[in-house]
Amino acid sequence: MKEGFRQAMAWLHTWAGLIFGWLLFAIFLTGTLAYFKDEITHWMQPEVQAHPVDDARSLAVAQNYLQQHAPTAARWFITLPTPRDPGLSVMWQDKVDPGKRGNFIQKVLDPVTGQAVQARESMGGEFFYRFHFQLQMPYPWGRWLSTLAAMVMFVALITGIITHKKIFKDFFTFRPRKGQRSWLDGHNAVGVLVLPFHLMITYSSLVIFMSMVMPAPIVASYGNDSRAFFNEVFPSSDNAPALGQPGTLLPLWPLYQQAQQQWAGGHVGRLAVNNPSDVNASVNVFRAGSDSVVHDFGSTVSFNGTTGELLRVSGEPSLPSLIGGSFYGLHMGHFAGPVLRWLYFICGLAGTAMIGTGLVIWLGKRQLKHAKTGVMPFELRLVEVLNIASMSGLMIAIATFFWANRLLPVSMAERSDWEVQSFFIAWGLSLVHAALRRGRQGWVEQLSLGALLFVAIPLINALTTPYHLGTSLMSRDWAMAGFDLTCLAGGLFLGWAAWKMQRCAALQPKAERARALAFKQEAG
Amino acid sequence: MLLALLLCYAGFTALCLATDRHHGELLRSKPTPARRLGLRALGWLLLTLSIWPAVAVTGWGQGLVEWCAVLMLSALLLVLLLPYRPRLALILAGVGVLASPVAAFGLF
Repeated sequence: MKEGFRQAMAWLHTWAGLIFGWLLFAIFLTGTLAYFKDEITHWMQPEVQAHPVDDARSLAVAQNYLQQHAPTAARWFITLPTPRDPGLSVMWQDKVDPGKRGNFIQKVLDPVTGQAVQARESMGGEFFYRFHFQLQMPYPWGRWLSTLAAMVMFVALITGIITHKKIFKDFFTFRPRKGQRSWLDGHNAVGVLVLPFHLMITYSSLVIFMSMVMPAPIVASYGNDSRAFFNEVFPSSDNAPALGQPGTLLPLWPLYQQAQQQWAGGHVGRLAVNNPSDVNASVNVFRAGSDSVVHDFGSTVSFNGTTGELLRVSGEPSLPSLIGGSFYGLHMGHFAGPVLRWLYFICGLAGTAMIGTGLVIWLGKRQLKHAKTGVMPFELRLVEVLNIASMSGLMIAIATFFWANRLLPVSMAERSDWEVQSFFIAWGLSLVHAALRRGRQGWVEQLSLGALLFVAIPLINALTTPYHLGTSLMSRDWAMAGFDLTCLAGGLFLGWAAWKMQRCAALQPKAERARALAFKQEAG
Repeated sequence: MLLALLLCYAGFTALCLATDRHHGELLRSKPTPARRLGLRALGWLLLTLSIWPAVAVTGWGQGLVEWCAVLMLSALLLVLLLPYRPRLALILAGVGVLASPVAAFGLF
C-alpha cells in the first residue's frame, strides 16, 4: 500500500512537473528578476538620475510643478522617490468619471531641478513583474494560467516531498561530476534546502489570487456582487466632492509630517490630492509598502487641503486582512532591505534551478534507453527542444530585451512595445534554433550566445550611455553598477555552463553509458 | 543578520558532521556514538540560538523572515562547498564560531 502510494505520487510529480515545468521556469525566473524591478527600471531609464532622497524638497517640487501644469485637474497623485526608485512621479487626471478608468497623464520629475525628465520609453522591470503573473496574455487568461501553474507547482512540491524518501538522510548530499546522479542530487538539494521559500512563495501566490482560485466564500456571502466584497476589503477613501468655489491648497509638507506622526515614524509612500483648486480639496497620505512585512492594503491619513484639518485616520486592519497581508507581503518582499533582497533573489534562482534540473532529469532518464541507437523518438525530441528553448532561450530573450533598450533609437515610435517584441522574437528564434540543431549542440550554442550577450551588457551600456561602471561606482549609484555587475556574473555563469556542456559532449560516450547503467539500477 | 548567519552555518556543519557519511568524508573517521550525539545536540542548539540575534535586531516580523532566509542560505552554502572545498567548509564553520562573540559584541 505504502509503496503504491509513493509510486502514485512519483508519477504525479513527474508528469505535473513536466507539463508545467517550462512555464514555471519562466514564471520563476521573471519573478526572481521582479525582486529588482525598480533597479532594472533605473538601469533601463538612465535619464532619471539618482539623488539623495529628500522628501521635503521632492514634495515642494511636485506641488509646484502640478500647480503650474495641472491647476484645474480633478486629482493629483505624487509618488515620492526612494533609494531604489529615484524618479519623482507625478500623475494627474482632468476629470473623474465614476466607473471608468480616466486618462491619466504621468510625468517623472527630477527632484532637484523640478523639470520633467525626458526618459526613454521603456517598461523596465515592470515587464518582468507583469509577465510573471499575466504571461503577456489578455486579461484574465494570463492570470488564470499562472494561477493554475501555481496550483500545479504546489502539487509538485508536496508530491516531491513524499517521493523523496531520504529527505533527511541526504540532507547534506551533493555529488558533482556523476552525470544523472548529480542532477538528481542537485534537484533534491535546492528543493529541500530552500523548501520553506518554495512553499511560502507558491502558497502565497494562491492567496494573492484567492478570489479567482476559491470564489465560493465570496459568492456565498455577497452573491454575484463581488464588487461589494472588494469595497469592504479595500475601503476607498470617501472624499468630499468639489464645491465649485476656488480655494488655495496648503503646502503638502506639514501634512506629510503630521501623517508620519500618526504612524510613529513610518514612511510615506505617496499622496493623492482631490480637487486641488477647490475649497473642498482633500489630501490623502498613503503609507509606504516597505514599512512592514505585512502588506498594508492602504493605511491612509486624510486632511482637508485648505484648512489642514485632520479628517480621518484609517483603522487597524482586521485579522483576515492581516493574514492575507502577510502572505502578500512575504511574496512581494517590499519590506526587504538590500541584503534580504539579495537573499530573496538567490532563493528565487534556487527555485528556478530546481525546476530546470527537474526538466533535465525527466529527459535524461528516458534518453538512456535510446543512448545506444542514437535515435530519439519524437516525444523525447519535443521535450528536448522545449527544454532548450524554455531555459537557454529565455536567457537569450532576457538579454535581448536589455540590448534592445540600449540599441533602439530613443525617439522611436512605440519604443517600449518594440523592446517587449524583441524579447519575444528572440525567444521564438531560439525555439526555431533548438528545433534545427541536435540536442547538445543546441544547448552549447544557445548558452554561449546567452553568455556573450550578458557579458557584453556592461560594455554596450558604456558605449551608448555615459553611465558606465566607472561613473556609476564612483557616484555610488549601486542600482546601476549592480545591474552591470550582475549581468556580467550571469554571463560568466552561462559561459561556464556552456563549457561544461561542451566537455560532457566530448567525454560522453562510454563513461556516461556505464554510469547510466549503474544509475538506472539504483534509481530503479 | 551576520551573527545569525555564522551560528546557522556552524550549526548545520555540526549536524552534517553528526552523520556517518559526512564525518567519514571530512574527518576520515567514524564518529563514536557519544560524539555523534554531542554534535547533533550542538547543531540544534546553535540553530535554535541563531533565532535570537535575528529577532533582537529587527523584531519578530522581519527578524523571523531574515532568520529563515539565513537558515536556507547557510545550508545551501555548506552543501555547495562540501564537494568542492571540504576543508574550506570546515574552516568557515570554525571561523564562524570564533567570530560570533565579536559579532555579538557588535550587536549591542
